[in-house]
Amino acid sequence: MSDTSGPRREAFEAEALPHLDTVYRVALRLSGNEAQAEDLAQETMLKAYRSWHQYKPGTNVRAWLLTILRHTFINEYRKARRRATEVDVTRIESFTVFEDVQEKDPEGKFFDQIVDEDVLQAIDRLPDEFRETLVLSDVEGLPYAEIAEITEVPVGTVKSRLFRARQALQRELYDYAVEMGYIKRRDE
Amino acid sequence: MTDGQQNIDCLEALDRLYEYLDEELTPVRAEEVRQHLEKCAPCLAVSQFESAYLKFLEARAKAREAPEALRKRLLERLLFEPDEPAGP
Repeated sequence: MSDTSGPRREAFEAEALPHLDTVYRVALRLSGNEAQAEDLAQETMLKAYRSWHQYKPGTNVRAWLLTILRHTFINEYRKARRRATEVDVTRIESFTVFEDVQEKDPEGKFFDQIVDEDVLQAIDRLPDEFRETLVLSDVEGLPYAEIAEITEVPVGTVKSRLFRARQALQRELYDYAVEMGYIKRRDE
Repeated sequence: MTDGQQNIDCLEALDRLYEYLDEELTPVRAEEVRQHLEKCAPCLAVSQFESAYLKFLEARAKAREAPEALRKRLLERLLFEPDEPAGP
């Protein structure tokens, strides 16, 4: 596209576009469906292009894009998100699934029988702030400091949300595995 | 022991477990957890289980690429956006 490329387009294509996969994946988990995720990802990238002058070269472009994505989702899409029954993350105690499986399956082999789609559906039932934290950490592999920057909370909050989100998700997956007969409940 | 390194109990070790597995601890704090796990079989078992869980999550939730149609549409839309000098 040499006829249309100028400095802004070149910089944007070189630095921002490589993060489209990440933007799309996070959009998919935030919005919960593919059509909305495409709209949300596209809108995020167009907004980023239009405000490219606000991006400080040399700073973290991925975090900048994900911050725009998050604001766009909260302001324009969150209300439309269809809500499945949310997972309760308020009553999470530490490592209780391990206590339940330590005799029968201490290595967690039952996890291997759970397929991608079931995991993603369980993630989608986490409350917003826990889902976004878990997705940024465990799907995208971002460090705590970057998640804190994007979600605009202290690192300590990222830690506690991540702990609750992981433990609540683990409990969901364990209950699902029991239901499917992949593993027997502790007292059976 | 070096640099203010301390013995930690099970409560403290498990409290730091995810940070340890995520490699978010400072070297001294991580070494404290490592040494605790070395001599505490119950905590080591929790650690191995949680480590397997995190690897499972990573493998299951990973690597879905943006649809090609989205990439194409976005590039086309960008052509209609005015270009401007990148710097201030």
